[in-house]
Amino acid sequence: MSLFKKMLRDIKVNKTQFISIFLMAFIGIFAFCGVCSEYYGLEQTSSEFYSDTNLADGWIYNTTITDGAIDEIKNFTTDYEKQMVVQSVGNFSNDPEITLHFVEDNEISKFYTTEGEDFNSSDDSGVWLDKRFADAWNLTVGDNITFKFNGLTLEKEIKGIGYSPEYVYEASPTSIIPNFKDMGFAYLSNESFPLSDIPYNVLLVKFNQSPDDFKDSLDDSVEYLSYTQQSDHVSVSQFNEEMAQHKMIGDVFPIVFILVTFLTLLTTMTRIVTHQRTQIGVLKAVGYKNRTIILHFMSYGFWLVLAGAVLGLISGPAIIPDLFYPTMTSRYSLPEWNPGFDISFVVVAAAMVISSLLVSYIAARNISKENPANTMRPKAPNMSSSGFLENSKLWTKLNFNLRWNYRDAKRNNFRALMAIVGVMGCVALLISAFGMNDSMENLKTWEYDDISHFDSKLIIKSGASLSDIDDVREEVNGSTIMEQAIEIKAQGNEKTASLLTLNNTNLISQTDKNKNPINLSDTDISLSAKTAESLNVGVGDTVEWHIIGYDDWVKCKITNIHGEPLSQGIILSSDKLEDLGLNFTPTSIITTEHVDDDYDSIKSVSTLNQMVSNWNEMIGSVMMMVSILIFFAVLLAIVVLYNLGILSFTEIEREVATLKVLGFKTADLRKLLLTQNLFFTAIGFILGIPLGFYLMTLMLNAAGESLYYIPSLTLGNILLSGFITFVVSIVVNLLFSSKIKNLNMVEALKDVE
Amino acid sequence: MSTLIEFKDVVKEYKSGDHVLRAMDNVNFTIDEGEFVVILGPSGAGKSTLLNLLGGLDSTTSGQIIVNGEHVENFNDNELTKYRAKNVGFIFQFYNLIPNLTALENVELMKDIVDVNINGEEVLNSVGLEGHSNQFPAQLSGGEQQRVSIARAVAKQPAMLLCDEPTGALDSKTGVLILNLLQDMSNNKNTTVIIVTHNAILAEAADKVIRIKNGQIESIVINENPRKVEDLEW
Repeated sequence: MSLFKKMLRDIKVNKTQFISIFLMAFIGIFAFCGVCSEYYGLEQTSSEFYSDTNLADGWIYNTTITDGAIDEIKNFTTDYEKQMVVQSVGNFSNDPEITLHFVEDNEISKFYTTEGEDFNSSDDSGVWLDKRFADAWNLTVGDNITFKFNGLTLEKEIKGIGYSPEYVYEASPTSIIPNFKDMGFAYLSNESFPLSDIPYNVLLVKFNQSPDDFKDSLDDSVEYLSYTQQSDHVSVSQFNEEMAQHKMIGDVFPIVFILVTFLTLLTTMTRIVTHQRTQIGVLKAVGYKNRTIILHFMSYGFWLVLAGAVLGLISGPAIIPDLFYPTMTSRYSLPEWNPGFDISFVVVAAAMVISSLLVSYIAARNISKENPANTMRPKAPNMSSSGFLENSKLWTKLNFNLRWNYRDAKRNNFRALMAIVGVMGCVALLISAFGMNDSMENLKTWEYDDISHFDSKLIIKSGASLSDIDDVREEVNGSTIMEQAIEIKAQGNEKTASLLTLNNTNLISQTDKNKNPINLSDTDISLSAKTAESLNVGVGDTVEWHIIGYDDWVKCKITNIHGEPLSQGIILSSDKLEDLGLNFTPTSIITTEHVDDDYDSIKSVSTLNQMVSNWNEMIGSVMMMVSILIFFAVLLAIVVLYNLGILSFTEIEREVATLKVLGFKTADLRKLLLTQNLFFTAIGFILGIPLGFYLMTLMLNAAGESLYYIPSLTLGNILLSGFITFVVSIVVNLLFSSKIKNLNMVEALKDVE
Repeated sequence: MSTLIEFKDVVKEYKSGDHVLRAMDNVNFTIDEGEFVVILGPSGAGKSTLLNLLGGLDSTTSGQIIVNGEHVENFNDNELTKYRAKNVGFIFQFYNLIPNLTALENVELMKDIVDVNINGEEVLNSVGLEGHSNQFPAQLSGGEQQRVSIARAVAKQPAMLLCDEPTGALDSKTGVLILNLLQDMSNNKNTTVIIVTHNAILAEAADKVIRIKNGQIESIVINENPRKVEDLEW
């Protein structure tokens, strides 16, 4: 009982030290669980949504799905359902594209109703509408909505509003950021199809085989136009890419963060117990059992670490994910955004508590093993022999400050090492966070300054006639391009990629992967570096590809490798495309003029400025993550440096008191401590830069399929990281060294400790 | 011999809450230059308080402390630091050497504080530490460490050596050697040595014995014929 009182009083007396233990445990677990919980949340929420709504494993497209084909496919599927999917135009001022799904019973890829009644496949008067579209237009249940397609007009009452697992991401025809006023989807009963005979064109399937096996079975049994497996579905794959982006930060950052926290926490615990050395001796001398003593000192940090870890475990997932989710909803549609939870959170928190117990145990046990007479005396300092520097002539020329600090660091090399590693960890986190920021900026200027030289991009309506397109092209003084999604395979690998066909223009130029300009001739076929890498091909190799939606596979030889940050795939000229036997069908017109006129054959116009701001919005959630990273890195730096400062100060308090009694000025002593601090900070900083750069490269390499980053770090941000580190370090140091002024010399000297 | 130190009506009170503890109650005495003075008293009599005031580690509540004609009681923090650096050579019970400096460096450290031209080796030799100058404190015995601490105090060439139970942590034989060294410094080099102790035997070796009790001077005795430390019955 009296030992418990002792513990409480010890904690009270050394409260700053114990507060910093608590904070460190808390911040470490808080950041780790919070950041991880964000992307686990995305994973868990989306996969739950997919399974609740029974998302299809594959989509088979054909002009019509025949009963004969279904009879064949039945044999290797667990479930199937046919749909008629058609593009319609909604009756709104901007002619939004609405994808209509006429369904039989909607047991696969179910519509998820959030307002109104559940989907009813026998209701031919109603429509179940995309919630994002409904919200964008302020539509509610009970309103009527009209669609036009293939010369038909359909007016239905909105019976329900909700989500679909096939539209977590809705590809926008006009920009990378979806504008929910421009597009949407709707589910209807097959009975509401205006013609008696529905030309079903999609078969949704569920199967138990592996996707590759299923594809093989499919190829063996029926003819079809194209087939998409779940992981290639645009909504699924885009969301997976987004998750990959989060995971790249979520994987590396929390691990480094938690390692630095562990390191600092554990050394602190060891040192706190070591400081109590003579007390351990006294307790032992008066007859306490070793076990009692060890338990007593173990309990010191235990409660605080436990409290910090539990609090972090609860509040991290509760607070951090909600900072990201708002930026996610601008691009993705899920009925719920919930933070995720993983058993690893509990494991890490428990590991923190247990390992801090363990180091206290080891430290206390080592001391209690010595005989009490020894333990009651302060530990003899480490013997240090004179090294090279001390034996040189130079040594005697050095002033006391340098000699003292050199020796102090040498004698307490563990403390010095911890200080350096602590600073290094914080600097690495700062550098990697700033580097992420720089790399994103670099990517932006690469795409929008070095590659794109147009001011406006006019998206051509599908079905517009070539002569109409040509009229517009001449009027805006522009150039036509064709952009399509392709499937490309080589060396047994298959990837979705993009195709860019240029028609004699210098409004889009090419660079190599280091941003140096390169020129492609009319006969060149260039593959982006990232695709080349993932397909494992190079210049001279042959690849095979087809435009998604068309069945004509072409084979061609790669003549160049280019670097492209935003879209990975093939670039060639329109002449070369036609050489390969494909039609050049323009999808956009690019021009240096600023276009804001309306043309009948043009769907929409986006300017370069809009694209840049869309890009900024798109990387919003990643940038959010980067800001949080910077925030925590600074916080960690403060706690780590504070902690190191307070420990070092406690350890040298007596020496400083002696020096003060001998007549050293307070200012000189503060300088003494500051010199040491700055020295450690400088070493940690220098070592932290390459480590941070390496961490950033790790994160960027995991950045998903379509983005290609060049790891970059500006001098300005290195200096900023340095500035932050040194300011924190100096402020913390001044905080401690101000204690020298009020140091009670008499007390400090009397105490043997 | 001229007067080096004068305490005039010195009062020191410690306040804790409403309670006032008078640790030093109207203390008056003088110490001459070159004197070997022993301040005696039981625990709690106020020995340490006296030492702290004299050493410039603490300030008086009232009264005057005049050292070399200067009024120490009026000094601010900076002036006290200067006073300590110039006038006082401390010798502590637990030596308080800087553990990561060698014996020689501990002594030569003083050059950083006061403007003296000393040879550290010579000073170490003078306290009987030939050949130990490159050892670290942890490599020296208690008696050797105390010698280093004396050498360090002497190196400043201070007006006085203030010794707080200098033999408290040493065995009696080593203690005698240390005290002998201090007495020699007083006798041969005219250094003022002030030893605070509870060991009454030492009284016979002192030029002047100041006894204190309950914060007051009990008696001041001047020994006309002080004995050598080594001749005392320990």
